[in-house]
Amino acid sequence: MRRELINRHAPFVLSLTAGMALWEVVGRYSSPAFMVPLSATLKKLWQLIIGGTLITQFLDSAALFLTGFVLALLIGMPLGLLLARVRGLRVGLEPYIMILYATPMVALIPFILSMMGFGFAPKVLVVFLFAVFPVLYNTIEGARSIKPELIEVARSFRSSEWSLWREVMVPYTLPYTMTGVRLAIGRGLVGMVAAEFFLSSTGLGQMIMTASQNFDTAGVFAAILVIALIGIAMMRLGRRIETHFARWRN
Amino acid sequence: MTEPMLSTDVQRPETTVPPVTSQADARIRVNGLVKRYGTLEVFRGIDFEVGAREIVTIVGPSGCGKTTLLRCLNGLIAADEGEIWSNGTRVTEPIAGMAMVFQHFGLFPWKTVYDNVSYGLRMAGVPAAEIARRVPHFVNLVGLKGFEQAYPYQMSGGMQQRCGLARALAVEPNVLLMDEPFAAVDAQTREILQFELMRIWEERPTAMVFVTHSIEEAVLMGDRVFVLKGRPSSIKETITIDLPHPRTRETLREARFAELREQVWSTLMSEAREAEFKLET
Ligand SMILES: Nc1ncnc2c1ncn2[C@@H]1O[C@H](COP(=O)(O)OP(=O)(O)OP(=O)(O)O)[C@@H](O)[C@H]1O
Ligand SMILES: [Mg+2]
Repeated sequence: MRRELINRHAPFVLSLTAGMALWEVVGRYSSPAFMVPLSATLKKLWQLIIGGTLITQFLDSAALFLTGFVLALLIGMPLGLLLARVRGLRVGLEPYIMILYATPMVALIPFILSMMGFGFAPKVLVVFLFAVFPVLYNTIEGARSIKPELIEVARSFRSSEWSLWREVMVPYTLPYTMTGVRLAIGRGLVGMVAAEFFLSSTGLGQMIMTASQNFDTAGVFAAILVIALIGIAMMRLGRRIETHFARWRN
Repeated sequence: MTEPMLSTDVQRPETTVPPVTSQADARIRVNGLVKRYGTLEVFRGIDFEVGAREIVTIVGPSGCGKTTLLRCLNGLIAADEGEIWSNGTRVTEPIAGMAMVFQHFGLFPWKTVYDNVSYGLRMAGVPAAEIARRVPHFVNLVGLKGFEQAYPYQMSGGMQQRCGLARALAVEPNVLLMDEPFAAVDAQTREILQFELMRIWEERPTAMVFVTHSIEEAVLMGDRVFVLKGRPSSIKETITIDLPHPRTRETLREARFAELREQVWSTLMSEAREAEFKLET
């Protein structure tokens, strides 16, 4: 049992240790203008934590990310189901969705800036735009793959349109949506940092910018590390939720 | 061109069978039904009635419109001409009191057996307490006790169709529509399910329209067998099955059963034989 556990996790632990060692060694031999070793990064991180800066900035970023992300979910999923169900709407809107999904959202930031200025709302919009399309797209694809036979079964049992959504469309589509959600987490984080860079500077993005301007490489790395860890944690959570909703698939 | 019928010592079926049921007794009444898909006319001139405690089985070659007919009866698709009446209502959409068992089972893969069986009840707005009381009964009835929390992918085809059957029975319909319900399960399971269905039906008889490819099944289950054929198809023959109820394994051994099976067989095959001869010339 114990041995099995060791065997299973050994490659991961080894590779992680090697990576950290490499970072440490390369960091020690490079100019601190580019890179600092892991130990220096962690030390800086610790200072930022006890100094309170990290917590404030983290909460700031989290509020931005969550608002944009939750909006992306709340709009992406129902809209996806609606588009899957109403053919005319889908055919009409699909080209725009494809174009926006394919457009690098960063390109839209100057436009958003000139339209909406520097408040919280334009930043939320950026996160939203980054995150919504994978959710929307995967929901549409998922909902469209429902077997027509099952819709017919629902009709045969006199399902109302609302029941059809609740009992058939949503549970069937959720695993697909969750795949989109996992993609949306990554993209949403990019959107968050981009918004914090290019719109009013706040949060972890601002930390990176300020540290970089002060040639505080350790500070830059510390902030990046935090963002990366958040990303990993959220992706894992997303995967969990995805498997939970897909447990009926063999 | 016309080959003599296979020499069986069975009398030819009378083309018009005296109606088994009176008008008032009919659960389903179909008048002059025509269904077209674009230029393809699937069937025309379909007229029949099904009594409140009668099982009508329908046999016919693949693609003759059996599923299409059932979907019309269920109100899932509209016929192009003619009308369907059931329980005093003109059927234009799925109505209460009718339930279908599907060839492809039609179970919701994300729902457990329990949730699949209770589905129809929930759609009918039955209160939760009543559902909790009724569902175990129907789960037991089809022999799925202990599998309430299983998902469809965890079960064999036979068990899945038991679940499909329980879901249809749970709404306590007075018309059951069965679209080749046992066609996708293995031969042994099929035989078991046939007799279980007959046992369940004897306990609570309903009107039933049962579509099948199997002549044996048609004769075993049916009070009347409709032979659907032609292009467009129509009911070419109606064969009354005068075997006594309850139908059990004993029924299969009766001489009359074999006679009737031959009779349905020859009716069904005459067209296939003609088609064969047409190909050769
Ligand atoms: N939605 C549809 N659109 C167009 N044609 C259809 C449609 N559904 C069925 N058909 C055609 O109608 C005819 C009858 O089909 P149906 O499925 O009712 O036959 P069936 O008797 O049930 O066949 P089987 O025994 O193989 O199940 C077939 O030729 C089929 O191709
Ligand atoms: Mg069919």
